[in-house]
Amino acid sequence: MEKLISKVTEKHILFTASFVIRLALVAYGDYQDRTMAVKYTDIDYHVFTDAARFITEGESPYNRSTYRYTPLLAWLLTPNIYLNMVFGKILFIVCDVLSGLLIYKVLCLRGLRAETARCVSSLWLLNPLPMGVSSRGNAESILAALVLGTLLCMEGKAQRLTWAALLYGLSVHMKIYPVTYALPIALTLRTAEIRVDEAKKTSRFKKLVGFFVSFFNRDLLLFAVVAGGVFFTLTALFYYMYGWQFLYETYLYHLTRRDIRHNFSPYFYMLYLTAESTWSQWLGLAAFLPQFALLLVTSWMYYKDLAFCCFLHTAIFVTFNKVCTSQYFLWYLCLLPLVIPNLSLTVKQGLGLLLLWFAGQGIWLGPAYFLEFEGYNTFLWIWLAGLLFQVVNCFILIQIIYDVNLLFHHIPKSTLTFTFKYEARIMKVPTVSQDPKVRLWPVYQIA
Amino acid sequence: MYFKLFCVVSALSLFSKCHCLGEKDEIQNHCDLLRQWLAPSSVTVELNKKGFHREVTTTVEFRSKELSGVKVLLIHRWPRDVYVDPYQLASLSDQNKWKILLDSPIDLEVPAHEASGFVTYVYPFSTGPTSKLFKVTIPIHGRYHKPSFDGKMFKSVDIEAPELLLRTEKCAQLSSLEPHTVVDAPCTASNSSTCSWVKVKPQQDLNPVSFQLPVGDGSLVAHVCGGTLLVTMICCVALSKYMWKHQII
Repeated sequence: MEKLISKVTEKHILFTASFVIRLALVAYGDYQDRTMAVKYTDIDYHVFTDAARFITEGESPYNRSTYRYTPLLAWLLTPNIYLNMVFGKILFIVCDVLSGLLIYKVLCLRGLRAETARCVSSLWLLNPLPMGVSSRGNAESILAALVLGTLLCMEGKAQRLTWAALLYGLSVHMKIYPVTYALPIALTLRTAEIRVDEAKKTSRFKKLVGFFVSFFNRDLLLFAVVAGGVFFTLTALFYYMYGWQFLYETYLYHLTRRDIRHNFSPYFYMLYLTAESTWSQWLGLAAFLPQFALLLVTSWMYYKDLAFCCFLHTAIFVTFNKVCTSQYFLWYLCLLPLVIPNLSLTVKQGLGLLLLWFAGQGIWLGPAYFLEFEGYNTFLWIWLAGLLFQVVNCFILIQIIYDVNLLFHHIPKSTLTFTFKYEARIMKVPTVSQDPKVRLWPVYQIA
Repeated sequence: MYFKLFCVVSALSLFSKCHCLGEKDEIQNHCDLLRQWLAPSSVTVELNKKGFHREVTTTVEFRSKELSGVKVLLIHRWPRDVYVDPYQLASLSDQNKWKILLDSPIDLEVPAHEASGFVTYVYPFSTGPTSKLFKVTIPIHGRYHKPSFDGKMFKSVDIEAPELLLRTEKCAQLSSLEPHTVVDAPCTASNSSTCSWVKVKPQQDLNPVSFQLPVGDGSLVAHVCGGTLLVTMICCVALSKYMWKHQII
């Protein structure tokens, strides 16, 4: 069994196999679309293709109703019209495999052995969920590749800040949610604090001033200028080409979206019942505040490990969002392989959490199916299942937070008597592979 | 010589008169044919599938034997509680033996109280020269409705029976077909011109088909809001507490 795993995860075989499997799925999808009543291809792919067709005719992609993405995506898919409709799917599966490669590179930079890194990357590369999503024609893999590229460029000592900023600006242009990473990135890039002896007391005001001043350094300004420049240039260009409709459909719609139709969000029923009432705005704000507060807390607590912080950020953003569909799960699932080596969960515990997550979704999907396809009034059950799913998600996140902390030495503040740099050196711990309880990944130590 | 000329001219005029009369007869024949088609025919409307995604199947059967050259049009007037997906219809158009025209753009996402009714023009084409049966299946989708505050769990949606219209290119004097009503409607699904059509009176007045769509229970609004905010607050506090305890220094 071990031999088989090591054979499959050999570099060339792993990446080739994952690409070939996705290609086979695309071919099968084409066959199913032509022969069966239930189509393989997602409706979104047809939306992208129709928008690309409008562009080839010199019109706005927003003539296609429900096209709520950047025009860049429709432009990228114009070969769907000029060459073949399958071009977009090929692009998405290439980005998917590229995301797997980026995961592998980041893990290597974080100190994993190449073999282990490939093993963990296979959790994405050989995972049926991203395979299915990309081969059906969803564009999530492009964003996963951009976010992972940003993290890769930010990781380690040899930071490639300009590239990181470029990729970050592009990812925020494509979808808004990476904008939440701005705070942890800013906290990472600001000037490191020099902790002094606790006996010497500095005034609160001075500390506050010092905190704000630390944000004004070369690295952070460079990042902000490049990322901001990319984002605003693209926004200005497309605003010039397509006007207000571009701003509304790409950004404002998502920011103000109140989908009263059933979805995974725990807020769905509340927003549906109060859609016409005067309380609607206040309830929207009440739903936004926990999300915002948690994102602030997450940034402050975990910015020192950017990959983990981004994973938590996205998972919390999706769990506490006013709208949640299964596509959103991929936003944090692509970052999960970066976190897994730092968890000391046993395989049994990990599988247990995974099953719990799927069970939470299954419990929601049941009444949702009966509502939409059988016509039963299961609104109350869907609401309760949504609340349960949120509790399940929070439980899993708490387990991850609790577990990943085992890696970091929790030093109580009172024992600090020396100055240290916040940047930790990663040291590899020798391991005994036979003992399943001993971790095979490095331990962070304060040096 | 003049006599010969006279004979030729009179023969020619007789011939042309006969021809005109023949043409007039032909037109009269076509109009009679159309009248035959207007004889009571059966129109049935069936609703299939359940939930928010349904299919409305309209079956029209004519009694007339000779069918060529007559065009059929079905006009459905839909309420705002439902919508059709133009993109879905376009993808099904290859398999269907009919073409459809919508009278207005359709918003696929708005709830019922923000939407408006619409009209579809369906142009079925016959499967063969002797075919008397036309079957049209239109997939429709239910919109979300406002929650009810009177304890009713469902909202009833009524779909009226369609209007059946006929025309033939060869019969222009549709007024001769009184007392049947003549209406103007697009000639084909490409909507490039308008033609006069004759409305067929159905054999018996068809009742609308109706179905139920689930709606939210507005009387539970306080419980739902309270419960949702309580659970999300608890989750928020629990997560913050754990993150605070297990932060990276």
